[in-house]
Amino acid sequence: MAALLELEGVTAGYGGGDILHELTLTVGEGGITCIVGPNGAGKSTVLRVVSGLLRPRLGSVRFRGASIVGQSPRAILRRGIVQVPQERSLFSTMSVWENVRMGAYTVHDRALVARRLHEVCETFPIIRERRHEPAASLSGGQQKIVEFARALMLDPALVVLDEPSMGLDPKTRTVVFDTIRALNQAGRTILLVEQNARSGLGLASHGVVLESGRIRLEGPGLALLDNPEIGRLYLGATG
Amino acid sequence: MTLVLEAAVLGILTGGVYALMASGLTLIFGVMRIINVGQGALVILGAYLSFVLFRTWHVDPFLSLIVTMPVMFALGVVLQLIFIRPLTTDREALSVLVTYAIALGIEGILGYIFSTNYVQLRAWYETASFAIVDFHITYVYVFGFLLCLAILGALFLMLYRTTFGAAIRATMLNRTAAQLIGIDVDRVAALAFGIGMATAAAGGVVFGITNAFNPGSHYDLISRLLTIIVLGGLGSLRGAVIAALIMLVTEDITAVVVSPVWASFAFFVILVAVLIVRPQGLFGLRVRDRI
Ligand SMILES: Nc1ncnc2c1ncn2[C@@H]1O[C@H](COP(=O)(O)OP(=O)(O)OP(=O)(O)O)[C@@H](O)[C@H]1O
Ligand SMILES: [Mg+2]
Repeated sequence: MAALLELEGVTAGYGGGDILHELTLTVGEGGITCIVGPNGAGKSTVLRVVSGLLRPRLGSVRFRGASIVGQSPRAILRRGIVQVPQERSLFSTMSVWENVRMGAYTVHDRALVARRLHEVCETFPIIRERRHEPAASLSGGQQKIVEFARALMLDPALVVLDEPSMGLDPKTRTVVFDTIRALNQAGRTILLVEQNARSGLGLASHGVVLESGRIRLEGPGLALLDNPEIGRLYLGATG
Repeated sequence: MTLVLEAAVLGILTGGVYALMASGLTLIFGVMRIINVGQGALVILGAYLSFVLFRTWHVDPFLSLIVTMPVMFALGVVLQLIFIRPLTTDREALSVLVTYAIALGIEGILGYIFSTNYVQLRAWYETASFAIVDFHITYVYVFGFLLCLAILGALFLMLYRTTFGAAIRATMLNRTAAQLIGIDVDRVAALAFGIGMATAAAGGVVFGITNAFNPGSHYDLISRLLTIIVLGGLGSLRGAVIAALIMLVTEDITAVVVSPVWASFAFFVILVAVLIVRPQGLFGLRVRDRI
């Protein structure tokens, strides 16, 4: 699988010491790469480096071979990397419709925006059904779907998702994971962070276990799931 | 009864200018999460700018806004770039100190140039009045109110009808999410600060015609503006407008019904009562995401 995104020797933190230590990670084009790891391991920090919210102290980040390190979130977005953050990110008092349209903030071609809106509504009917309601009135799972829709307005090549299933009930979680799989089958590369190692790795073509800002294990998702060490650490496996 | 009605009308008319000044303050808070305690000094600066134009070229105070608003806008952008943007950590707390320093700097410069003598902007409509039924209203209050109404209207249209306005609202609601959809939040912040300053210029003119002022007048002004935005809810434009009207109408009515001595006190009773029930103010969002 060709590399779409490559992190090499990335060291980053928030001013009070490094959180990531010389991290090297490759996201293959067309696949689902899933990062799992305990709370505070630095998973979200990796994603912040990718989307330009956080500038790494050392190391390189390349997208399609070109360096994107140090670029603004806006510039990175325009290259085709879109991130849905861990915390709720809809603009609460704006309507569902306005939120989704804001996803195309950087697109100035009105016809293109209209076409994308149409496509997104086909994929997620809830957008049209609830279009006039303020985003905050939707349930957590519905909000996640609207966040996906907003991210898709840019027709991104790489979709970065930070714990999309967090706080959702099992049924909604299934919907979210099905959506991720569908997005991937439609040709988008996914970089996913997931607390629930079983669902995350089960979906992933490539899995990464992050601990204290370092990669502990790496390999095909299903192989990692079978790894006894993972079982002990994250799956509460008996024996 | 007429007295009360007259007081209420006057309260609404003068409330308009406070609404305008406070909306600049609350806009800046909403976008940057900073309390600009220099807003009062910037209003006074705006008044002095118009005062200079008036004294030198006899420019009508309202007309002078064509010059002072763009000047203050540019000054705001520069101030934001130099003083506010570098604050990356602990911005809420540091911004109070920094903007207070800006206020003192402006007060010092104005004091040096104009001395501490009180001045007032002059125009024919400042004393001329017209009668409705049996009370008189000075033109300046009506003109000032209409001006503030027009600027506030423009501000709302900008916020709710333009793409840039949507970017401002998005930044106010969720800064990280705004960045992630490609909004240049630093640029939005600089322009919002400029807009806040332009409203200060307009507020300054109306304040300067209806009040005598000197470089130290900003202390009283900023304390009033701060209580207005606390009552209205930090970051809420609607809240700022309504709270300003409540403040001025309450004060004016109390002044005629009870005594001017109790005017401010009556407003504070309302403020405290509201804050006990709604700590976030009338229209404030509960502060959820810290930036
Ligand atoms: N804005 C910040 N400023 C300072 N430190 C931070 C900031 N964000 C995260 N950290 C610290 O960086 C470390 C890694 O945080 P990160 O959010 O990347 O973890 P995570 O793996 O995503 O955890 P979780 O599963 O809880 O989301 C933590 O110790 C956290 O306290
Ligand atoms: Mg995280």
